Amino acid sequence: MIVGPLLSVAALALVAGMVGGLRRPRLWLALTLVASAALLAAAGVVLCGAAGFAGAPRAELSDVTSAQWLLGDRWEWRGEFRIGGERPHMLLDAVSALFLALLAVLGGAGAAYSHGYWSDADHPESAGAGRLWWSAMVLMMGLVLVSANGLYFLFGWELFTLAAYFLVTLGNHRRQVRAAGWLYLAASHVGTLCLFAFFVLLAERTGSWELGPFLRGHAGLAPLFWLALAGFGVKAGMFPLHVWLPSAHANAPSHVSAMLSGMALKLGIYGLVRFSGWLPLPAQAGWVVIGLGALGALFGIAFAFAQNDLKRLLAYCSVENIGVILIGLGAAVLAVTHGDAPWGRLALAGALLHVWNHGLFKALLFLGAGSVHHATGTRELSRLGGLWRKMPWTAGLFALGAVAVAGLPPLNGFVSEWLVYLGLFDAGVARGPVAWAAMPVAIVLGMAGALALASFAKAGALVFCGAPRTQRAAHAHESGAWMLGPMTALAGLCVAIGLAPALLWPVLARVAAAWNPAWAVGVEAPAPLGTLGGVHVALALLALAAAAGLWRRALNNGLRRGLTWDCGYAVPTGRMQYTGGSFAGLVAGWFAWLLQTERSLHRPRGLMPERAHRVERIPETVLERLIGPVAALVLRASSAVRRLQQGRLQSYILYLVAGLAALGLMVFLGGTP
Amino acid sequence: MRIADWAADDGYRIFADEPTGLVYSPPAIFYPLLTTRYSLLLPPMTGTLNLLIGLSMGLNLMALGSSRIPSLIRAMSVQGVVLGIMPLLMEHHIVWPVALVALATVAVKGAIIPRLLQRAMRAANIDRDMEPLIGFIPSLLLGAGGTIVAMALARSLPLLPEHAGSLLVPGALASVLTGFVLLIGRTKAISQVCGYLILENGIYLFGLLLIHATPLLVEAGILLDLTVGVFVIGIIVDHIQRAFDSLDTSKLTVLRE
Repeated sequence: MIVGPLLSVAALALVAGMVGGLRRPRLWLALTLVASAALLAAAGVVLCGAAGFAGAPRAELSDVTSAQWLLGDRWEWRGEFRIGGERPHMLLDAVSALFLALLAVLGGAGAAYSHGYWSDADHPESAGAGRLWWSAMVLMMGLVLVSANGLYFLFGWELFTLAAYFLVTLGNHRRQVRAAGWLYLAASHVGTLCLFAFFVLLAERTGSWELGPFLRGHAGLAPLFWLALAGFGVKAGMFPLHVWLPSAHANAPSHVSAMLSGMALKLGIYGLVRFSGWLPLPAQAGWVVIGLGALGALFGIAFAFAQNDLKRLLAYCSVENIGVILIGLGAAVLAVTHGDAPWGRLALAGALLHVWNHGLFKALLFLGAGSVHHATGTRELSRLGGLWRKMPWTAGLFALGAVAVAGLPPLNGFVSEWLVYLGLFDAGVARGPVAWAAMPVAIVLGMAGALALASFAKAGALVFCGAPRTQRAAHAHESGAWMLGPMTALAGLCVAIGLAPALLWPVLARVAAAWNPAWAVGVEAPAPLGTLGGVHVALALLALAAAAGLWRRALNNGLRRGLTWDCGYAVPTGRMQYTGGSFAGLVAGWFAWLLQTERSLHRPRGLMPERAHRVERIPETVLERLIGPVAALVLRASSAVRRLQQGRLQSYILYLVAGLAALGLMVFLGGTP
Repeated sequence: MRIADWAADDGYRIFADEPTGLVYSPPAIFYPLLTTRYSLLLPPMTGTLNLLIGLSMGLNLMALGSSRIPSLIRAMSVQGVVLGIMPLLMEHHIVWPVALVALATVAVKGAIIPRLLQRAMRAANIDRDMEPLIGFIPSLLLGAGGTIVAMALARSLPLLPEHAGSLLVPGALASVLTGFVLLIGRTKAISQVCGYLILENGIYLFGLLLIHATPLLVEAGILLDLTVGVFVIGIIVDHIQRAFDSLDTSKLTVLRE
């Protein structure tokens, strides 16, 4: 099979990029793009199968053969040698290939973007390191995706976390960046700790580090799922464990933010998908996952709406999207535990497609935010504005990403959310206890969707519409081709998935079949994806025609630019416009108990007031109100323990005697020391 | 531990099998006492031995209760002498290695070490009062409690039948505990050395259980180690006194990291 050589080429190119890319950016870019292409090809071979979905005449396949076709291809390789006492075992099945394809696309796009965004000319001290760690991160993410051995999985996981840490802290001369890096590292290691426990217990109970579908047979493994949920949940930014996410995403360079949000979070999701498919599941798993997903979707977007920092807004929106994916996954798990109900397949397909979609449009949006930051030097919404005029391409691409992320037709976000909705509706119609969960979750998902639309209306309007609020925003400039190119490519993929979703169904069906073999029931889409595609194409054409018509009319009537609305002021300034806080005020009020906004107000006083200000700060509620106090408590306890170490010989002898006495007592009472 | 287990214990069974034919089932807490009483009825050698060990237990309490360093040193050295003559009493036929060990122990613990310590004390011009971290009355109570615990504990240890009747093990444990209390509860370097030596006396008592198995060389080596250790400490004490003008070890905490 061709997959092995392709993966080897990719790995070699990435290693060569790490070695040779420090000084030669063009060579590095070429190598990284080659690696991306190879990874994409490998993933494509597995996802499309030997038959290839394009060539498979679906009508002629009987149900049985189509089931075989769905379960078809996977690439597996076992080394004859041992590293660290374990034989390498690699497995690329449809589930990992789905994520590998996303990694290939984002790895290539981010590399090309960084060529313009974090160039040697702008960042002579860190650009080389950035290239090195980028290649390392892509390599290690790939290792995580293909390893079917717990030990190698952990190696890859830890090294990719470290590489991502170095990427997050590329601009480490700023204090916030260093703080965000530490927080990311600490949170990641809490997650890794859970994963260590998970894999070690797994290895202990099965007798080997091997991973695979055979784990499903060990009924005793079910409780380990909770460890996996915690460990992968931290990385995925599952709601109460998302604390590292906003600051790391906001303070990393934008191509790194795109990769973190687009791929690093997805690796957490990959772990959950992988092990919910391979492990026997506890009965409550589905309920917990769908509940956490609903919580994350609603609260994530509520936080996003209230943010005043463009990249923080995008980061919290990632929490929401992870929530959507978890809702789909949770519904699928529920379906498995309720007799492989077919609606679970729909929900899972929606979740998996949302993995791709979120990776694509969130990367696009982060790259857009990077463009804005590159042009203006700020991420604060209240210092931007009116960039549409100066940066038409960035603005257009960002708007497209915003439409996609808000889940509006005819773009890809709608397709995946629609599949999740369909799954939930079918579950609701199917009666039983699941129906009672499915309907509220669908409603929460709807609310989250509405808030997402509002959030991106806010972001788009404040950044690109209106008048510039500061001088820097007024003197912005459009980004170069290296930055716009990858964004255009990502936008193109968003449009393509939106317009032709039916083509992707076989891929999704394959992944669903790899996740749960009981769902290898045929390639016919259970949802009218073809019709949806047609409607989307029609909608897109209509929108294009309407835009062209409006543009013509505007040209014919003669274009006159001026102030939209000066509210009767003689000399209006850009700062009189709506701010982020005022835009989000209403919704922030609804969620005041959650957001805990800190306000300081200095009212204008007297007839000729000189100073007045109002500052709003949205704290990281979970971090500052929950984890912070607990951490302070732990710290106090630790410093109390440290007092035991005071250098007095007598005390040390006392400790020794006490320890001896305790051991003696243990033996005396019949325990084993 | 249930009463039945106590009764099944090696030591007790031996006494129960004695010609008197008595079968006891008093509460478990009295067993140590009963053993002691019986041990006094054992052959006269063991009786004398137990008497000496009882003496050394009393010396432990004296060491804990003494408020001045010279009397602490005296208690320690007398204990050394008492322990030193013990090997001679344990044997029916005295062989020369055992006699040599006994002689050396008496000489080193009874004469050389106390002399070294007294010299160090005089050279360093140490205040003769001790500054206890644990007061004398609490120390005494701890020592007495420790002795009782040692008695009780020794009953539950799986000992050889021939050692069951003697106070060797409880005496050893009591001395070790006393040594620990002195090490923990006294601040002066010299008094800590004394604590260490009493602890060593306890270990020596344990060693008597194995007197036939331990080669002469090992015994001699231990004694030599002790002597050299005390000798070196005598010198160090002098130096500490000169460098820091105090021998209070609780002040030597700067190098803790």
